[in-house]
Amino acid sequence: MTNGRESQNQRGNTADGEYEHLVPVFVELAAIAGDDPRRTELRDRLVTGHLPLAEHIATRFSHRGVPREDLVQVATVGLINAVDRFEPDRGSDFLSFAVPTIMGEVRRHFRDASWSMRVPRRLKELNLSITSASGELAQQLGRAPTPSEIAEKLGLSLEDVYEGLEAGNAYHSVSLDEALSADSDSDPLADTLGEEDAALEGVENHESLRPLIEELPERERQILTLRFFHNLTQTQIADRVGISQMHVSRLLARTLERLRQGLLDEPAAEEPQS
Amino acid sequence: MSEFLPGTEALAGSQDDPDGIELRIGAKLEQLPIIRSLAATVAIRADFDLDSIADLKLAVDEVCSTLITRAVPGSALMCRFTLRGNEIRFLGMATSATATEPRRDSFGWRVLTTLTDEATAWVDRADAEHLVHIEIAKRKTTGG
Repeated sequence: MTNGRESQNQRGNTADGEYEHLVPVFVELAAIAGDDPRRTELRDRLVTGHLPLAEHIATRFSHRGVPREDLVQVATVGLINAVDRFEPDRGSDFLSFAVPTIMGEVRRHFRDASWSMRVPRRLKELNLSITSASGELAQQLGRAPTPSEIAEKLGLSLEDVYEGLEAGNAYHSVSLDEALSADSDSDPLADTLGEEDAALEGVENHESLRPLIEELPERERQILTLRFFHNLTQTQIADRVGISQMHVSRLLARTLERLRQGLLDEPAAEEPQS
Repeated sequence: MSEFLPGTEALAGSQDDPDGIELRIGAKLEQLPIIRSLAATVAIRADFDLDSIADLKLAVDEVCSTLITRAVPGSALMCRFTLRGNEIRFLGMATSATATEPRRDSFGWRVLTTLTDEATAWVDRADAEHLVHIEIAKRKTTGG
């Protein structure tokens, strides 16, 4: 009797009540085979069910010069990784595993996308309000706004908007080493390389390119595919992926840099001709 | 090694376009952020929409990375932005030991053609060092 009550209390504390009902889903997920189609459904349930956790962590890190929508997205990526990596039979509970995983993802985002030290607070805030205004304008216009449209919406001078946009360039651009240090957050369950494969047909260096694309984190690969194989604009991609256009832009720049570097490291594939 | 690049005369001769912006910079990957920032500034001030600004930045990055990896070590990269009507043109040039044009069926070229409205590349051949050119054009999508 006493034992039963104790374990109940313990579980009530650790699982925080809100997510308690999801505990059996992990057990179920761990029990079924890797190629079972039900996996996707269970995984979705786990991710969706724990979304408030990701949002909560994102909120804790907001007001630091990075748009909240980007943080929520990044935290969600962390959550998905946590769901995929969690092994319920290891004895620990999901929350104590997930929280550090999600925080790690958010911290990495800050490291990758932080402002360089010297940008004054005014410019950071200006850039942030431009980012959110351009998100709203893109919704209204169905395309990315111009600096003059942003100026009008915010009631700012053009010169201020220019300055704010240019401040975006001072966003810490990721160093080559950092971009290349393999982020192992690629997600094996979502490996849908068929699309890229078809799109890469006819590309001269696709043999060397394919493994490089496969190594990309899922989100980066998705953005790359949408931009260069499906020809979506950055604003359309931002809308679909749920992050700001500025973030899409940075991720694309980083991904292209990584691919270029990867191709360079190939033993000279290009022989001089004619 | 400090003499002007062949081809700079062509640039110097472009005084008929006083609004052109030229940049001569070491052909090193570390210099990319400077060229990229200039590209953004030019497009921002021409009131291009945010997608086009970002695309131009990425495209200029791609052009310059391609040129830099082909450039003779220690040589300079010549860059030139021209604004005409609703269009920004960017021309990058580098001296290279090989006279090969960038391949049109490479992924890099696909990147360029996706990001821009026009992309061309050609090589002015010389005895030992050839001048590789890549030119792109980006037009406003909004009628402004």
